[in-house]
Amino acid sequence: MIATLVEGKELLETVGASAVAGISVTFVFSVAIWGVARFVDLSRNERPLAAGAAALVACLALLATAAIVLVGIIVMTSK
Amino acid sequence: MSSDIILVIVVGTALAFDFTNGFHDTANVVATSISTGAARPQVAIAMASLLNFAGAFISISVAATVANDVVNADVITPTIVFAGLIGAIAWNLITWSFGLPSSSSHALIGGVVGSAVAAAGFDAVIADGLVGKVLIPALIAPVLAFAVAGLSIGLIYRVVGKQKPGTVTRGFKYGQVVSGGLLALAHGTNDAQKTMGVITLALIANGSLGAGSDPPLWVIASAATAIALGTYSGGWRIIKTTGTRIIKMDAAQGFSSQGAGAAVILASTHFGFPLSTTHVINGGIMGAGAAKRFSAVRWGVAGNIVFAWVLTLPAAAAIGALAYGLTRIFGTGALGPVVVTIASLSLIVAVFARRAERGAPVAASSG
Repeated sequence: MIATLVEGKELLETVGASAVAGISVTFVFSVAIWGVARFVDLSRNERPLAAGAAALVACLALLATAAIVLVGIIVMTSK
Repeated sequence: MSSDIILVIVVGTALAFDFTNGFHDTANVVATSISTGAARPQVAIAMASLLNFAGAFISISVAATVANDVVNADVITPTIVFAGLIGAIAWNLITWSFGLPSSSSHALIGGVVGSAVAAAGFDAVIADGLVGKVLIPALIAPVLAFAVAGLSIGLIYRVVGKQKPGTVTRGFKYGQVVSGGLLALAHGTNDAQKTMGVITLALIANGSLGAGSDPPLWVIASAATAIALGTYSGGWRIIKTTGTRIIKMDAAQGFSSQGAGAAVILASTHFGFPLSTTHVINGGIMGAGAAKRFSAVRWGVAGNIVFAWVLTLPAAAAIGALAYGLTRIFGTGALGPVVVTIASLSLIVAVFARRAERGAPVAASSG
């Protein structure tokens, strides 16, 4: 019974961690792609300031993606 | 002496299983990257192979579960482990020949449970461990991957839906290099450990290791090498089923399904759940497809895969039990495992030769 409860808690944590990690990485990476796409468009339209802001968003989102992936691997593979 | 010979056969068979596991599961890891054009097949497979190798060294939680929490190590003998491995390998080859991405992990656990029950009755099985650490996660994992991939792709389309498709597709293709790599790493952490667990179980059963021991380094290194070599050699037949026949994917769907799969497998590895990577990645693919358009998923093909999943545990258990019965015909010594090994190898060679004779692709079209 106790074993089942412990595994139930671990299963719930698995569900939570998977959902948070999977969805957050996807979201942040898609923000990075949004930033790149906007940067390309805005640069073509000769709006350097807005293009720079979009590039900054893209860079920050890419860094955030890398950070989430690294932290995720370290946390999930250490016990 | 006799038990040492059996142990050597078990270790060899376990590594052969690990090789077929990599061979069989290459598709799960690389199919989406290949089908969306994110990576060339040879590059994707080579990368998956290297990351599987690296992943095998990262954790030993799953190995501990397989060695200690599924069957009762007190009643297990190396011959039981051997018969279980034969059940798993046979089932892997049967599903491979039909191009079905069934679960190598469940085949392994089914095979060992079947041979243990045949040898020592149902007392040999640790029911709590089997249900709590294998069966329930087996049900939850693909549904979880389905949901995470579905939610992820929904978010992606909301964020980048109004942008030019060219830039977005290119971006997600780059992303797939990372998500595919993560999936390969996750695959190595979970799948290679099952073989480590089985070898450790055999070493404990033989008295070479104490109860509850962790896998020694040589076990980890040999399991990592076997799965990496298998991954490098295998997969084309099932790549086709996984990568194109379930849904036709775009790069964003590939990214979300691989990301969901990697997240679910890594989280499960952390808690020592021996998951089926096949179930998880196929769940993710279906989730990414269904979220975009429910009818985009070829549910008939998906149904065949589910059928293979359901059948895997009992079928591998039955073959494992049969293999144990065959082994015991020749007594309790090394003769049984030697005869069954020779018979199994002959059967495999005959099947491959027949396929080659009929002109069916063998090596490069495996899976």
